[in-house]
Amino acid sequence: MFLTVKEIRKHFGEGDSRVEVLNGIDAEIEKGEICVLLGPSGSGKSTLLNIIGGIDSADSGYIAINGEKTADMNEKKLTLYRRKHLGYIFQQYNLIPNLNIKENVEIGAYLSDNPLDTDEILKTLGLYEHRHKLPNQLSGGQQQRTAIGRAIIKNPDILLCDEPTGALDYKTSKDILKLISDVNKKFGNTVVMVTHNDAIKNMADRVIKLRDGMIRKNYLNENKIAAEDLDW
Amino acid sequence: MRNPLVKRLPSEFKNELGKYIVIFLFMALSVSFVSGWSVAGGSMATAYDESFEKYNIEDGNFELYAKADNELIKAVEDSDRYDTKIYENFYVEFPTKEVDSTLRIFKKRTDINLECLMDGEFPSSDSEIAIDRMYADNNSLNVGDKLTLHGKEYRICGLVALSDYSALFSSPSDMMFDSIKFGVAIVTADTFGTYPEDKLHYVYSWKYAERPADNTEAKKLSEDFLDKLSEEAPKYMNAVTGYIPEYTNQAIIFTGDDIKGDTAFVQMFLYIIVVIIAFIFAITTSNTIAKEAVVIGTLRATGYTKWEIVRHYLTLPMLVVFAGAVVGNILGYTVLKDYAASAYYGSYSLPTYVTLWNPQAFINTTVIPIIIVFIIDLLMLTRKLSLSPLQFIRHDLSRRKKKKAFRLNTKIGIMKRFRLRVLFQNMPNYIIMIIGALLGNVLVMFGLVLGPVLDNYQQEITSNLLADHQYLLKAQVETENKDAEKFSATTLKTIEGTLKSEEITVYGIAKNSRYVDLPLSDNEVYISNAYSEKHGIKTGDEITLREQFGSKEYKFRVGGIYYYPSTLTVFMDKDAFNEKFDCDKDYFTGYFSKSEISDIDDLYIATEITVDDLTKVSRQLTRSMGNMMNIFVVFGVIMYVLIIYLLSKIIIEKNAQSISMTKILGYRNSEINGIYIATTAIVTVVTLLVTIPLSDYVLGQLFVIFMRDYPGWLPYRSFVSVYVKTALIGIGSFAVIALALTRKIKKVPLADALKNVDE
Repeated sequence: MFLTVKEIRKHFGEGDSRVEVLNGIDAEIEKGEICVLLGPSGSGKSTLLNIIGGIDSADSGYIAINGEKTADMNEKKLTLYRRKHLGYIFQQYNLIPNLNIKENVEIGAYLSDNPLDTDEILKTLGLYEHRHKLPNQLSGGQQQRTAIGRAIIKNPDILLCDEPTGALDYKTSKDILKLISDVNKKFGNTVVMVTHNDAIKNMADRVIKLRDGMIRKNYLNENKIAAEDLDW
Repeated sequence: MRNPLVKRLPSEFKNELGKYIVIFLFMALSVSFVSGWSVAGGSMATAYDESFEKYNIEDGNFELYAKADNELIKAVEDSDRYDTKIYENFYVEFPTKEVDSTLRIFKKRTDINLECLMDGEFPSSDSEIAIDRMYADNNSLNVGDKLTLHGKEYRICGLVALSDYSALFSSPSDMMFDSIKFGVAIVTADTFGTYPEDKLHYVYSWKYAERPADNTEAKKLSEDFLDKLSEEAPKYMNAVTGYIPEYTNQAIIFTGDDIKGDTAFVQMFLYIIVVIIAFIFAITTSNTIAKEAVVIGTLRATGYTKWEIVRHYLTLPMLVVFAGAVVGNILGYTVLKDYAASAYYGSYSLPTYVTLWNPQAFINTTVIPIIIVFIIDLLMLTRKLSLSPLQFIRHDLSRRKKKKAFRLNTKIGIMKRFRLRVLFQNMPNYIIMIIGALLGNVLVMFGLVLGPVLDNYQQEITSNLLADHQYLLKAQVETENKDAEKFSATTLKTIEGTLKSEEITVYGIAKNSRYVDLPLSDNEVYISNAYSEKHGIKTGDEITLREQFGSKEYKFRVGGIYYYPSTLTVFMDKDAFNEKFDCDKDYFTGYFSKSEISDIDDLYIATEITVDDLTKVSRQLTRSMGNMMNIFVVFGVIMYVLIIYLLSKIIIEKNAQSISMTKILGYRNSEINGIYIATTAIVTVVTLLVTIPLSDYVLGQLFVIFMRDYPGWLPYRSFVSVYVKTALIGIGSFAVIALALTRKIKKVPLADALKNVDE
């Protein structure tokens, strides 16, 4: 199994305000799969994604990629783990505001020994003519594409997407989802995508539904459809 | 109802505690320094100003070749151009046996230039002497000690301050006073009467019936007085050998000028620091506004006015500045005041003073700094907060919409470009940092350079003496000493222009001189490099000098510059000298000699110019300012560290989200340090490379300005060792800052990038 999530538990707060966010999550995701973590607000899906990404730590349990457990890693190894295996796409894009579009993508490339060609990526993403602009000169969709470019340029094993269309309109959201799907097809990355949009599950290979910190459903999607055919 | 925003203040203060503590300390430290100096200086200046009336300080003095007849005194006093009274103020000078110094002794004054008793009592018997307190301190002499003068032993019965010698200048032409090797003292009238007549200096002080309103009136009156004196003295077979009105007498005015000048200097220094603090607040508050844009937008949308928000963001900076000013003033009035007073007492022979509440100092150190910070921050806040609520909510804070990023050559590696972007993004911080570093470096370099400058000056003087022995004679007496070489000399004055009038020694040098190797001709003179540097005179220029006690002018063509750093001097051919000044062909004033001349009676020797005479400036400055120099270095370093730390900390805080994001992407802390700290490090190094020579230049210019008010010339020199030390201090300071910044970057949580902030 490529990505293993084993008995993950996590809480926030103490005493009366203690909230169990994740109550023993078990999941396995195959290499190259698009896995959608679906659930309402407070279900724990973003927390789980952050733990997979090494941004947050679990109270117990572990994450393993190709058998390599993140819980055993110190800070330096975790950094290397993120550097080597992961690419991130956030709802709020999180671009570096003082770098232009090309440079924002290049800081992703810098981390890889074999990065993809920056200009190629920018052309693929339809950003080439905007490459000298600052992030705040672009639309939300263009910024999110830049974030995707920064994530995929190092050709990561796993692409972690936290509500990547949460701040975008319908059409742009579909464009972005198609882009993620295309990237997955082209480079074979495993995609773990957090969303509360039920329709997006239809483009996934695997769907994990969460509620109150527990997995309510975990299944392979037999009726996967193309991203451009999604509707909500 | 109380404004709910006020409730946020404690938590905002807590969140930024480090910054506020640093700024508070910076402010309190600066204000305490300035306040202490202003209070002590103000109190002392008041005591000094009051001393003119309290101790009946003269309006001027003159020296005659011989004791004046009563008729001469009456004739000089009798004028319709001024109303004055003349008093005897004779003195003798003796070397002291116990310490290497000369003491100028007066009889106890009863009418004019009265003394202030600082310790012990005034002399009442013929074996008692009261000496200057400052001179006593510098030579470790105390009440009860013995002092042998002119073969007689005296008991020091008291320590005094002579009101006409608050700065111990032995001669009006001295560049600097000398409170180590020169002192003043008083004995009883009976004791004074026992001193040999040939040792007496016939000095007379005059005092107008009404004190001149200002220096212009004093100048007019003193010129009238000199005219009358010069006219009358020859009629009574006498000659004027010295003349100095009070307003030009360094021994009297130097102290007041220095104290008042210091106060103005430290005041200016405080204002510069306050402006820097105001800009630091402006930058940090600007960051806070960016961080809290959504909150501000929401508040504005719910009805809070712009002014309520402005007031909110002004409150903490103003409170911190106010607290810093108050604590600084308390420290100033208690600790620093005494320190400043002791520094003044360490330099000047001042009468006792009473600490005076100084409302001007309070205004200068509290009210004006608060106004400066208020205005600068108010301007920034009103500008920043003039955006619409929606712009704040959308985090759309840029005034220049769609600002294009300037292009950087893509051949430059991404990390280097990243650093450049950080550099350009934070240009205002770096500009303030450079200004702050410049100020810090000026202080550090001043602290480091004065010692070498004085040492170098002393060394240059010592190794460029005209001769090991230089005698000025009262009469033209011959010597058998083979080393002796005659010279002529006189003193002229420069014409007052941009620089004050000052004395120039004119030497007539023998042909083929063994001591002054110059190709002198009849129609050209050489001038010392000291004269050339101070007055900006070059070879080929014509100079005009005036008689010391008259109005006759002399013109000279400068044929070259002679390396003689000791004094402002003109060298000319001896025969040409004698002709120019209407002297006999064989006239001479003294001897240069490499060995001591022992066959001339002391009676005929007016003075022997020694190395001690020429090096008194460096000696006194070392004594007066030596301890202060370390304070300049320490204060400069503190200032440097605080400013660079605060501004680099702001850069990291401003970029916390980007730093967090780069961490999530997998950048190592060392790589992130390489982006953010390395940029500041590069700026620091460049700042040092720029500001060290610039500070050196500024100090050189300040030296020139400083020396304009002083007779003579103390050249400023640059030293590689000072450059290196300043650079090492700068780099060392930054290393400490970098450690703190590294910790700060390490502490930036990964979760920062997940915050819902959009830039």
